[in-house]
Amino acid sequence: MSSDDAHSSSSEHDSTDQNPNPSTSIDQSLDAIEGQLTSISLNHRNSPLPEPPIPPPHHGIGDTLPSDAHSQVEEVGAVEKSGSDVEVENSVSRGEGVLWRNSSDVEGEVEGQGSPSSSGYAGGKGTSSSSGVSGSGIEEISGDEVDQGEGGIRSGSFGGSVDSEWVPGKRHVNEDDASVSWRKRKKHFFVLSHSGKPIYSRYGDEHRLAGFSATLQAIISFVENGGDRVKLVRAGKHQVVFLVKGPIYLVCISCTEEPHESLNEQLELLYGQMILILTKSINRCFEKNPKFDMTPLLGGTDAVFSSLIHSYSWNPATFLHAYSCLPLAYPTRQAAGAILQDVAESGVLFAILMCKHKVISLVGAQKASLHPDDMLLLANFVMSSESFRTSESFSPICLPRYNPMAFLYAYVYYLDADTYLMLLTANPDAFYRLKDWRIRIEMVLLKSNVLNEAQRSMLDGGMHVEDLPVDPSPRSGSLSSHLGQPRPPPDSADRCKALLGGPCGLWHFIYRSIYLDQYVSSEFSSPINTPKQQKRLYRAYQKLYTSMHDRELGPHKTQFRRDNNYVLLCWVTQDFELYAAFDPLADKALAIKTCNRVCQWVKDVENEVFLLGASPFSW
Amino acid sequence: MASRRRMLLKVIILGDSGVGKTSLMNQYVNRKFSSQYKATIGADFLTKEVQFEDRLFTLQIWDTAGQERFQSLGVAFYRGADCCVLVHDVNVMKSFDNLNNWREEFLIQASPHDPENFPFVVLGNKIDVDGGNSRVVSEKKAKAWCSSKGNIPYFETSAKEGFNVEAAFQCIAKNALKNEPEEEVYLPDTIDVGGGRQQRSSGCEC
Ligand SMILES: Nc1nc2c(ncn2[C@@H]2O[C@H](COP(=O)(O)OP(=O)(O)O)[C@@H](O)[C@H]2O)c(=O)[nH]1
Ligand SMILES: [Mg+2]
Repeated sequence: MSSDDAHSSSSEHDSTDQNPNPSTSIDQSLDAIEGQLTSISLNHRNSPLPEPPIPPPHHGIGDTLPSDAHSQVEEVGAVEKSGSDVEVENSVSRGEGVLWRNSSDVEGEVEGQGSPSSSGYAGGKGTSSSSGVSGSGIEEISGDEVDQGEGGIRSGSFGGSVDSEWVPGKRHVNEDDASVSWRKRKKHFFVLSHSGKPIYSRYGDEHRLAGFSATLQAIISFVENGGDRVKLVRAGKHQVVFLVKGPIYLVCISCTEEPHESLNEQLELLYGQMILILTKSINRCFEKNPKFDMTPLLGGTDAVFSSLIHSYSWNPATFLHAYSCLPLAYPTRQAAGAILQDVAESGVLFAILMCKHKVISLVGAQKASLHPDDMLLLANFVMSSESFRTSESFSPICLPRYNPMAFLYAYVYYLDADTYLMLLTANPDAFYRLKDWRIRIEMVLLKSNVLNEAQRSMLDGGMHVEDLPVDPSPRSGSLSSHLGQPRPPPDSADRCKALLGGPCGLWHFIYRSIYLDQYVSSEFSSPINTPKQQKRLYRAYQKLYTSMHDRELGPHKTQFRRDNNYVLLCWVTQDFELYAAFDPLADKALAIKTCNRVCQWVKDVENEVFLLGASPFSW
Repeated sequence: MASRRRMLLKVIILGDSGVGKTSLMNQYVNRKFSSQYKATIGADFLTKEVQFEDRLFTLQIWDTAGQERFQSLGVAFYRGADCCVLVHDVNVMKSFDNLNNWREEFLIQASPHDPENFPFVVLGNKIDVDGGNSRVVSEKKAKAWCSSKGNIPYFETSAKEGFNVEAAFQCIAKNALKNEPEEEVYLPDTIDVGGGRQQRSSGCEC
């Protein structure tokens, strides 16, 4: 592009400046982005690709997020609610006038720096089951200890990452709210009933946390009694996020610095997972009997919840609300889709073929569409329940976004170690019919080599930033052809080569297609190759996503951020969202140009990285 | 989560302020007593694991305050209670007279299924004071009231000396447990996909 030179000179100045003054650089960068990002939208009907990029749509600059928006978001009031919240705010965030005291002085945990309970008995610390722990641990929890529970070794891309070390299931069962180690955990999730009985805790034994659970119920009820709702309490480094779903209360206590909007969505998914297992009819049980204890109904599902919570730190689907596909040659995916289509036409509601977290193909009966969140929860349920692996299963499940009140039945069968077939039906007697279908599907998949191709794709991965074509030619729409392409782009500037990662310092990207509800992310490569770096990038994207979708400030079209870790670029159009991470020294103009190339690249290979078009032809 | 199959019992302690509710709870859970009086503000929660007839369960004890401004919390606090403990001070007649109010208040707010048979336990506390000389509520009087309300079990206790506290809470646990309703079969609906899809499916096997 002809304007590159002009921009690169000004941007080069920025690239040496680790902390550009936002007020002077933002306009420039937005101008640059607006001017240079060409609108490349995905085509969803498989019509011929448009040749040259369409001129950019005129996006207003005025509504773009200022670069200091992050700090604005952080300044949201301590208790996000209107009305008479004074006492709760006092007791929880300042440690004065304590209203509710658990035996282990939980307010200390929440506030992180407050004085131990100002009321009550000195001896009232520690539950009877773990006596002898004094309140002195309270001061320690404000430290920013390394979280021992959230990490996990990851490899591959976000979408298909396999944790080689992370083990699902509850750990640290011997902890309770009196344990120093429990207090140091960075991110807690609790589910409790409206009578204050614990239902689920990420860490520690639910029963030993009964006192803590009662405290949470008291806080929620106290505020609710004033006709209000407590949604967020900020206390030192901690955010306490509440979600009330009828008789079920969900709470997240976190010092991970994730946006509270993200934590709230994570609670929504946690609730969705519970609904997937039990349906929302569970509410009726509470109506009939407030004492109702739902833990026996959730028996054996610890691993389901722990793996969902774990996915909050690596799976972009949890905040993008989109699913990702296993990269496959178009005919291969078509072959799988065709046989699934046949099943769907025989009365199955949804036929889904997946490889780990990625979709190979998916077909819904007429008009039935599957929400990406439901897919996420369903895949998580199946993958984290060991029993599905060992035999074919027929299990009642509920899709919360499809119909939260009722059960469907899922026929689940693992075709190999990673690939599994799910056939969802409303008919509880369909097992044998679905079993027959499965045998036919399996035969077709073997004949058309789909399973082998899937395994190969798992090994090869999808899009690698190093393979970003320099000059995307509109007809070379194949991932594999790009793999062999000579890499160093002859025309790229010298500074481009000096940077790590892909061309022009491109480290990673996520492209989300809005129409398709799908996203594709590049594989991790140097320098984002340790789990810690991957998690940090994940969190950066999560923050970026949240700020781009801020309901009060947004919607936003573009955002350019530079900090010590990355240059982050985000571009949202009607058709797609692109999130890209670059070397912190990357040239701004080149980064923008590179984003354009990424969009073109995705478009060139959309046949392979996305599931396109609902109705593949039948054989 | 539930594979351990333990039960959690929610126990509410009610009574006028100063009768010794917090002290009883602390004596039971922590085997500690403090003669210093600190008014409970809002509510205190303690938990204790109890073994009963080979079953392990957890008592979640809700000790509420008498202050006016927390009265509105009744519904939320009492919801889903498995047992309610009514405490009076045998040396203060008023605290005994108020038992009736506490009981009624509880039944209104918690609105249990079967109010007639909801498990209450009554404790007459502070029997140690003055060697029993300042006592104004006789055991007979207390027991009479208890039997008139559907044979509520009655215990005379001293939180200070730990007298009868363990026995009282054993009884509380037992009664809470007794009240546990039969496990209902959980049967949500199945989706009715509607129209001919279901029917059509049976005939279409290519
Ligand atoms: N002598 C004696 N004093 C008691 C007994 N139980 C409680 N107290 C004292 O009575 C006062 C009020 O007790 P507290 O447990 O706070 O009452 P609450 O308001 O019902 O919770 C405190 O000073 C206690 O030390 C008891 O059994 N004997
Ligand atoms: Mg008290």
